[in-house]
Amino acid sequence: MSEVQRRKYSQEEKTAIFDGEFMPHIDSMYNFAFRLTFDEDDAKDLVQDTYMKAFRFINSFEQGTNAKAWLFRILKNSFINEYRKKSKQPAKVDYQEVETFYNSDDVDYQSTTDLRAESVKDMLGDEISNALNALAVDFRTVIILADLEGFTYEEMAKILDIPIGTVRSRLHRARNLLKDQLKGYAQSMGYNTDEEEED
Amino acid sequence: MEINDQASGERKLQCDDVNRCFQLLESILDGELGETGKEVLKEKLAKCQPCFEHYHLEQAIRDVLKTKCTKQPVPNELADSIRQMIKESK
Repeated sequence: MSEVQRRKYSQEEKTAIFDGEFMPHIDSMYNFAFRLTFDEDDAKDLVQDTYMKAFRFINSFEQGTNAKAWLFRILKNSFINEYRKKSKQPAKVDYQEVETFYNSDDVDYQSTTDLRAESVKDMLGDEISNALNALAVDFRTVIILADLEGFTYEEMAKILDIPIGTVRSRLHRARNLLKDQLKGYAQSMGYNTDEEEED
Repeated sequence: MEINDQASGERKLQCDDVNRCFQLLESILDGELGETGKEVLKEKLAKCQPCFEHYHLEQAIRDVLKTKCTKQPVPNELADSIRQMIKESK
């Protein structure tokens, strides 16, 4: 991802890299694309587009390095540059305003939530998914990368082109927003979020 | 990693430095501190109730995201159509 590779792969090498290192990530790529777009066709287009770009720029991929992170970075950039523009989603909050707010690395960890670990553990997959999908795209993205795909802070910083400190603080904010969502579910399920721990 | 081996009565109820502790706990949960994190973690969880609660809630959230978040089935023809497009572009 860093330096332009001078070497050129042969046609056989390209095919080997593409099939051996790129294609195995198609499930993760599609799930990421779907969680960004919420639309099957858009997700398909985005993944196809990403693989086309990956093939076209395969010479700048260094064999043996992290192909998944490299592909996710292309997908994320394609989404920002192309799909977000023609997005069918309704008007959003002022993006810049949000950006300035959450790009600050100073985070107040003092926030208290009365959500309990026990009620989180009892939640259904759909509830977790819906809570995640309700987050603004940049918050959703860091949670997908960290928790669903298991990327490290360093890999996320490269995928998103932001400093590691920003990864950490954005992730913290994202999880707090997720907790707010989950708290809503916990209350609607009839959990008393304040009650004593019961085992 | 379940760490539950201490009497909760002995934990202090106020954390002296929530900002630093919680940030540290979250980094440990995200696997950023490796082995060094484990000792720090053990001590925090044994001695501080807010840290203990925060850790378990954060851990539960990571666990459910990892294990329960519904996966979108990948369309069958997607891989083939990508291979086809690559073939045609050569």
